[in-house]
Amino acid sequence: MRTRLIASIALLALAVGADRAGAQGSAKPVTLLNVSYDPTRELYEDFNKQFATFWKGKTGQDVKVRQSHGGSGKQARSVIDGLEADVVTLALAYDIDQLAEKGGLLPANWQTRLPDNSSPYTSTIVLLVRKGNPKQIRDWGDLAKPGVSVVTPNPKTSGGARWNYLAAWAWALRQPGGNDASAKAFVAKLYKNVPVLDAGARGATTTFVERGIGDVLIAWENEALLAMKELGVGKFEVVAPSLSILAEPPVAVVDKVAGKHGTKAVAQAYLEYLYSDQGQEIAARNFYRPRKASVAAKYAAQFPKVTLVTVDEVFGGWKKAHTTHFADGASFDQIYQPGR
Amino acid sequence: MRAVRHLVGGTMVTAAIVVMAPQVVAQQEGADADSVSQSLQARVDELDQQVRVLQRLRELAADSVTAAAKDKISPTASGKDGFSIKSADGKYAVRLKGLVQADGRFFLSDSAFPVTNNFFIRRARPILEATVGKYLEFRVQPDFAQGTTVLFDAYTDVKVSPAFAVRVGKFKPPVGLERLQSAGDIVFAERALATNLVPNRDVGLQLSGDIDSGSVAWQAGVFNGVPDLGNGDGDVSDAKDFAVRVFLQPFKQGTLSGLGVGISGSTGLERGTTAAPALASYRTPGQQTWFRYATSTTTPTTNVFADGRRTRIVPQAYFFTGPLGLQGEYVQSSQEVKRLDVEALKLTHTAWQATGSYFLTGEKNSWKAVSPKKSFDPKAGTFGAVELAARYSELSMDDATFPAFANPASTPTKAKAWAVGLNWYLAKAIKLMVDYEHTTFSGGTAAGDREAESFVVTRVQHSF
Repeated sequence: MRTRLIASIALLALAVGADRAGAQGSAKPVTLLNVSYDPTRELYEDFNKQFATFWKGKTGQDVKVRQSHGGSGKQARSVIDGLEADVVTLALAYDIDQLAEKGGLLPANWQTRLPDNSSPYTSTIVLLVRKGNPKQIRDWGDLAKPGVSVVTPNPKTSGGARWNYLAAWAWALRQPGGNDASAKAFVAKLYKNVPVLDAGARGATTTFVERGIGDVLIAWENEALLAMKELGVGKFEVVAPSLSILAEPPVAVVDKVAGKHGTKAVAQAYLEYLYSDQGQEIAARNFYRPRKASVAAKYAAQFPKVTLVTVDEVFGGWKKAHTTHFADGASFDQIYQPGR
Repeated sequence: MRAVRHLVGGTMVTAAIVVMAPQVVAQQEGADADSVSQSLQARVDELDQQVRVLQRLRELAADSVTAAAKDKISPTASGKDGFSIKSADGKYAVRLKGLVQADGRFFLSDSAFPVTNNFFIRRARPILEATVGKYLEFRVQPDFAQGTTVLFDAYTDVKVSPAFAVRVGKFKPPVGLERLQSAGDIVFAERALATNLVPNRDVGLQLSGDIDSGSVAWQAGVFNGVPDLGNGDGDVSDAKDFAVRVFLQPFKQGTLSGLGVGISGSTGLERGTTAAPALASYRTPGQQTWFRYATSTTTPTTNVFADGRRTRIVPQAYFFTGPLGLQGEYVQSSQEVKRLDVEALKLTHTAWQATGSYFLTGEKNSWKAVSPKKSFDPKAGTFGAVELAARYSELSMDDATFPAFANPASTPTKAKAWAVGLNWYLAKAIKLMVDYEHTTFSGGTAAGDREAESFVVTRVQHSF
């Protein structure tokens, strides 16, 4: 009896195996979902086309990459909640750490799997003002002055906003007599000048550029340069502050999802291609600072020279920065309350 | 001279004052106007910013409302899904459905085998379904009809993809055709004779899938194994039944798109005892037992019990085109049986049924529940859908059954039944039915054939 039962189960297993083998054997078109943060739409639109051509030439397989954009923190939450991202290209490492810690979607050492801490391009935070700089904004200190209206997104939902916040904090720390208390007071004063908190960086750009609100937008450098070039030629100026922060947006394959979809190899190749000459060129053309020295040198003129500090050296890493500044009840909650 | 000079000087000063004064005043007034103008401009700019900020805040608030709506849990009520509560993305849901059938059954010729005419609840089944995440679904369906509680379905589906799913629990094994049609969707109030030879519910594990958007549907599973018509909750032996079904719908377009052909079957060992024979009795469409294996309370050694392989094979087909629906199946069920005083013998019983129905009101006939084009609404002059149906079925016992394993003096060797019916769909959820079915028997009494069964059944069905 037992033999017959085992034989029956083996037959079923064979049928399942045959079904799977059939599925894997064919070079079907493949689709990836890249869940990214707000301002990378244009970058990945360009990059996805280039990668599809590259992958088709290399393997003969058609690849289509779907994009999802939003505030980085919100996007990470969505992936943890079930949005099936094959790859994530988010604004900060903390958000991908959450995928590992809370979602178990990739290993904790994800950042070591690609060069440069899995950050194929960098950016920084600059100030975008209206043409002629009517409020004479030259540095972070000017943003806290009375009568200056500042546009920046909400650090609770936007990775870019966290970079903005930390850049302002770092500048205040470096002022004569600067310490955490004075930095906190400065940032509190700055946020009192913020009339609208958008959920993401792209929303903040819309507020400043299209809705005409505010005197200054704290923005990703790539977003500010893009706004100057495409959204309002001759209407804005970029002000490079005396000090800003080195933003290193990371990328990672979401192992659990890609494994389930059978897309691990193409997802890995997709991210590796960001480090190639072509990938770096596309990043630079979209105003991200390329990692590759040769490409960086070629595009050096388009990026203002700014003294840059890192999250690690000023804030002790993202985890600590989150706990101190962005967790519920932390610094940001203490200095900013909606409606006040 | 001094006086003249003084006079002249004074005159010039006066003249100058007279000449210059309006200009100075004008300049002063201009400066004031500029100041006012700048102040007004600043005020306008400030107000403009405030208005823009308010507009933007309103936009963001609207966005938040939209986003919140996406996350909102939505309760729904519909004829298709019953009452449900589900998350905005549909990944999590609880659905409450139900099936209630209130029948009246009236026997027209029952002098030899009197049967009480009766109003009763044929089925009363609350159905609870849940979706948990993207892959998991659950279903529980008990039946409280006729004063008893019987669990019909309790299973979990893991739907990996359309081509591959796993079902674990208690459910219908994939054998037969009419048996696999939902009790709320069958054309006649009672299933045909052929369904006697297939299992009803069993506990086990089943793999299944649809290939090419349903062109090929397959199921394969391992079950405890139940007798024909059985509804089991456990097993009496280690042996298990293996069941498989393949159903093809090769034509996706055109008249033949409603054609489906398939084959299903099961095989397994069954070892009963004289006390628990693990064998079926068979029922008429009027739900009266007309065949049973020999059994005796005084001499149990003469009791017949299952003792060996049980195999079923069911070729089947249906065809739906416009208002017309046809379905048919042939069932062959073999079972090795034994008496303690008689050698084991394999008995093979066979049955078949053919059913046709037609919607006089033009609805598209279907394997699943049909929605009337216009629900019952006398004020609007609409009366729902009307379906006419006819069926023929037979069940023949293996000749070798008699006399060793069944008493020919009390048990017919064959039953034949024909039926006609009228179904009135007031709405998709409410159906009224009236059927007449006539069943004749070969043998079954010492004097000859058992008295034919003729009955009328009426049904009010509410399913949601």
